[in-house]
Amino acid sequence: MTKPRLRLAAIFVAAASLAACSSGQSVTTSSSTSSTSAAPAVTETQTAAAGDAVKPKDGKVLKIGVSFPILDQFLQKVADGMTARAKENGVELNIVAAQEKTDVQLGQVENFIADKVDAILVVPVDTDAAGPMTKAAQDAKIPLVYVNRRPSDLPDTVPYVGSDSLVSGTLEMEALAKLAGGKGNVAIIQGDPANEAAVLRTKGCKDVVAKNPGMKVVKEQAGNWQRDKGLAIMENWIQSGEQIDVVCANNDEMALGAIQALKAANKLDKTLVGGVDATGDALTAMAAKELAVTVFQDAKGQGAGGVDAAVKLYNGETVPGYVDVPYQLVTPENMADFAGK
Amino acid sequence: MSTDLGSTAAAEAAAAADPSEGGFDWRHFLRTYAIIGILLVFVVALTILTKGTFSQPENLINVVRQVAAIGVIAIGMTFVIITLGIDLSVGSILALAAVVATSLAQKPSDRMMYAGLDLPIILAVLGGLAVGGLLGFTNGVLIAKFRIAPFIATLGMMTTARGLALIYSDGRPVSLLEDPYNNIGQGSIAGVPIPIILFAVVALGAHMVLNYTRFGRYVYAVGGNEQAARVSGIRISRLTLVIYTISGVLSGLAGVILSARIGSGNPQLGTGIELDAITAAVIGGTSFKGGIGTVWGTAVGALIIGIINNGLDLLDVSPFMQMVVKGVIIVLAIILDERKNA
Repeated sequence: MTKPRLRLAAIFVAAASLAACSSGQSVTTSSSTSSTSAAPAVTETQTAAAGDAVKPKDGKVLKIGVSFPILDQFLQKVADGMTARAKENGVELNIVAAQEKTDVQLGQVENFIADKVDAILVVPVDTDAAGPMTKAAQDAKIPLVYVNRRPSDLPDTVPYVGSDSLVSGTLEMEALAKLAGGKGNVAIIQGDPANEAAVLRTKGCKDVVAKNPGMKVVKEQAGNWQRDKGLAIMENWIQSGEQIDVVCANNDEMALGAIQALKAANKLDKTLVGGVDATGDALTAMAAKELAVTVFQDAKGQGAGGVDAAVKLYNGETVPGYVDVPYQLVTPENMADFAGK
Repeated sequence: MSTDLGSTAAAEAAAAADPSEGGFDWRHFLRTYAIIGILLVFVVALTILTKGTFSQPENLINVVRQVAAIGVIAIGMTFVIITLGIDLSVGSILALAAVVATSLAQKPSDRMMYAGLDLPIILAVLGGLAVGGLLGFTNGVLIAKFRIAPFIATLGMMTTARGLALIYSDGRPVSLLEDPYNNIGQGSIAGVPIPIILFAVVALGAHMVLNYTRFGRYVYAVGGNEQAARVSGIRISRLTLVIYTISGVLSGLAGVILSARIGSGNPQLGTGIELDAITAAVIGGTSFKGGIGTVWGTAVGALIIGIINNGLDLLDVSPFMQMVVKGVIIVLAIILDERKNA
């Protein structure tokens, strides 16, 4: 009687742990969940620059607790950025991961507080459920900084360090528009439309098209971040017979799918394709003159910016509510700088 | 004795649905051929709405090529559903098979997973099929030997295999593949795209197996009345093992087709494809009540899914609206399914 139940339980445990693993890792290929930063409501913004080390005022070796939702490929880079910057700043980091569970993360923050750390860095599991962590840190008067994912409800005194998805779409489309001479028909391949990053990147793309009187959006479809979907959508668009001069894709995977459809139809030489993420495959395609532009999200810069903000708060300096770690445009001219980043 | 039981059970199932009022059996006719009518309605409607673009030969080839992977999986799913099972793990098995197969078919470069590896492409393909078969077999063991409900067993496999695909590939797409491998998804033989040929071969083979072999009769018998099949001496657990292994191998084949089509083995490939496959089978007349279903019906069901996807893109239906339209079509198909079994 108990045996089948035990087996079931074992399967559920295995499934749940792997589910946590897979949902987190999906970030690496889609760069969707990692880049959820709403247009900041705070008035004051500052662009983070990798400047000099920010030392604690009293020369003490600070202890900073860091909680990640999970350490997948992308967030591991954020953590690497933190570790490197912590060394320069003379800070000791305690990095933990919360298995993508909100309650586990809250527990970790509470443990940091009990441990009397000097500051706390959090990449929230759920941007809508960060309130209790914010309150716990504020009650304990311990400086708190959010990194990479912006909590929806954030007091002015708690800074967020990250990138603005809207900007990635804008940068991408501005570069494409320039290459196209400010005219032509634009097709947009969206990520998962239920995803904030997809919505904002698409909006960035459309904003730029609207500024160019010679351009208009003729097609828009959701490829859910996936290459095979991007390929199928582009094949169908080619069949529709509509002239498409520019393809603005929300990520590189879908852009690469579109490129493949265009290649098969011998239309790639007349069509400009852009993406976001600067993945290895994307840079290879760029080297082959297939992908026109892509955009790089600076994971290490976000990590370093988070550590700097935490030390500044400890020092009693003011930190703006939103510290922007800018996206960077990647073109054939500068692509060598991004290989292996 | 057991040999005859399959056909008897199938006949009984048919008789149960038979109104037996004499004359022309409309219900039976509709159940069998309504799907073709639906297909034709879609074709005509889309041809009119797209002012002829839809019916261009290139576009029709396009539709079938896009749906080949779904179709191959849906055929495995048909076997599974006929025997009252379900396989939710097909998309994840597809992904694991895809990353394994592509990792064995990379061009020499500094981004190779196995530096210096130079295998014949057929071994890469067989590697993908073997991974699929192994995971499908594991599903079968969990269901047949450990008596875990198919929904639960394959749900566990769904997350496990996806996790394994991510671990194996380190979360990154496996790219820069040898041309002969890419040809499986992108090439043609005598003008017919290879994915379409593979889909047709699988469909034809599965049709023969289901209709002209003892194994096929057992499949219907078990789905029609498991108790009777058991009493008559059919080894149900072995049958279950074989069926889930078939579903796994076909998922592996779909993984090869899809990854070759996009020239890259992505660990996120095939997410949600299980729903497309189930939908194709159900639209095609396979019943969740077991014992009923045909391969050709499923193939037509897959074509309908491809036509809907293609048509909605051609008509520029917004992404959100596409979800609604597809959802409504699935529910309508299930209502149809319930009705004809009433």
